[in-house]
Amino acid sequence: MASIKLQDITKNFADKHVVKGVSIDVPDGEFLVLLGPSGCGKSTLLRMLAGLESISGGEIHINERRVDELPPTERDIAFVFQSYALYPHMTVRRNIAFPLIMRQHRWWFHIPLLGGMAKRRIERSPAVSQLVERTARTLALTDWLDKFPRTLSGGQRQRVALGRAMVREPQVFLMDEPLSNLDAKLRTTMRAEISKLHQRVGGTFVYVTHDQVEAMTMGTRIALLKDGVVQQFGSPREIYEAPANLYVARFIGTPPMNLLQATVNADGSALALGAEATMPLPAHLRGLAAPGAAVVLGLRPNALTVARGGQGLAGRIALVEHVGAESLVAVALTDARTLHDEEGAANADLMVTVPGYTDLANGDPVAVGFDATQAVLFDAATGRNLAAAPRTH
Amino acid sequence: MHAAMSRQALRMLAVLVLLGAAAFPIYWMLVTSLTPTEALFADRPQLLPSLGQLPVYASVFAIKPVASWLFNSACVAIGTTVLSIALAVFPAYALSRFRFGGKGAIGFGLFATQMLPEAMLVVPLYAIFAQMQLLNTLSGLILANTAFTVPVITWILKGAIDGVPIEVEEAARVDGCSRIGIVLGVVVPLIAPTLAAAAVISFFHGWNEYVFAQTLITEERLHTASVGLAGFIGELSTPLDAVMAVGVMYTLPAVIFYLIVQRHVVSGMTAGSVKG
Repeated sequence: MASIKLQDITKNFADKHVVKGVSIDVPDGEFLVLLGPSGCGKSTLLRMLAGLESISGGEIHINERRVDELPPTERDIAFVFQSYALYPHMTVRRNIAFPLIMRQHRWWFHIPLLGGMAKRRIERSPAVSQLVERTARTLALTDWLDKFPRTLSGGQRQRVALGRAMVREPQVFLMDEPLSNLDAKLRTTMRAEISKLHQRVGGTFVYVTHDQVEAMTMGTRIALLKDGVVQQFGSPREIYEAPANLYVARFIGTPPMNLLQATVNADGSALALGAEATMPLPAHLRGLAAPGAAVVLGLRPNALTVARGGQGLAGRIALVEHVGAESLVAVALTDARTLHDEEGAANADLMVTVPGYTDLANGDPVAVGFDATQAVLFDAATGRNLAAAPRTH
Repeated sequence: MHAAMSRQALRMLAVLVLLGAAAFPIYWMLVTSLTPTEALFADRPQLLPSLGQLPVYASVFAIKPVASWLFNSACVAIGTTVLSIALAVFPAYALSRFRFGGKGAIGFGLFATQMLPEAMLVVPLYAIFAQMQLLNTLSGLILANTAFTVPVITWILKGAIDGVPIEVEEAARVDGCSRIGIVLGVVVPLIAPTLAAAAVISFFHGWNEYVFAQTLITEERLHTASVGLAGFIGELSTPLDAVMAVGVMYTLPAVIFYLIVQRHVVSGMTAGSVKG
């Protein structure tokens, strides 16, 4: 049973601060996903947890035991690398058995021939060989046990890497973008395999990815990082429904949350979205911002509806994309203004998801309606979610 | 189709010419060793060996201690190879993986040793070896040769270790390997082709070396083949057929050694060209 506690972890490379005071508590058995764009410090954080990288400040506890001074092998962890990092000169069987052989390692194993014989003996011992074969069966690798990694496909190599991690029965599995070298279809399959592995073997998983779909589908907890700082730590649902700030709102969701510039009216009962467009403030957002305050209204694409005519924000269809089960409709608003995006492009289109196919066409005048109960309100100046609930660390 | 075939033919021709250039001296050595001395100076050179001359190969063993020369050469070459590689692997790993003060200077220092010709070092080395009582010992000769091969091999191995993905080493660290275990159990097998190339370099250095073998060894029973062969050249006469016969026997082990390791050397040269 292993809980993980990161306390105020920092990491500096020369004068570059890569991780700036990260504190996360992961209870036992959780699947934590460290999510963020490249260069946000998520891989560094994982490597510090593994002991492959030293920490510049803070403390790491695994299972109530301080481990940040311990070498990787004493932390009771397994690490799955993005590049699989299999031993190319060993068969699949030896690759999987390697951690078990290392447990019984003696100094004289370094002597050529003698060491080779000793290692083979351990590999063939009933305890080790049964465990290796059971693991191989679980991962459908039985037919490949005596092959070398170079003859395997990417998915098989990744399964060997998983097998090597599994046989150690570690308290914590650490995975650094293990699926990013696989093609899209295989990635989906392996994603499910890893989730099943988590359910089957238990233990605590920490998984690094820049892919929000992986994060949302696999994680029981997500820590979203940017520039070495945790933007939000919470369940996938919390992060999706109540993003802590504008950065999280923009990062999560495909397409991401729509953000509209708004001003709270004089009596605090409604939002002015444009010259004429207004929206009555739903109960859960009332009193969050002072009258007259500049705010940002956040609405997920699936909380919006689009129709020819009727009530709502006026606009014109800019683009329709049919994905199959749903259609993505981009609407250029004529009155209200969206917030410029990260890159600074002003007045982006409002994105609406519509179930199934739609007969809307480019240039059609439409009205966008919304489910106000799903709306989120951000402070325009700080970008923080005005509702108190979301936890940030 | 036609163009492809003629290109192929041209390539074959080029290979044959190169092969001839490489093989002819060896063939000529063989022919000379099997030609009667008087026929050697005939106006028309003999192009085919006379098999009747074969006993010369047996007779050289009677005139000179050829067997012991070859044995000594083998000891020196194998000793140099084993010692050089054993001494070069760890510094090569350190130069490739560790960050420490003076790393650049050490790397340059290794290179700088290659700028000094052997002949310049003979006298100081002789003085040192005399003091350490290493004169007239094969182990002393092995040490002297190793001193010259280790820097080169260290650089070659460093290059190969640079190419070993760091993740594989990190995986081994997580799996419980010590640093030495990583070098011997993971890195060394992965750079095996380069090790083979390094073995060729040090073996040939030890096998061919003449200057040190001549100066540091004076006792005849410890002479290596390179020195012994040179001793054939007399003031008054040089038995060319015998010299060439010993020459053939001197060349043969080196060729065999190369044939054994060349498969690995070639795979080392192409390693990394294909994403594996």
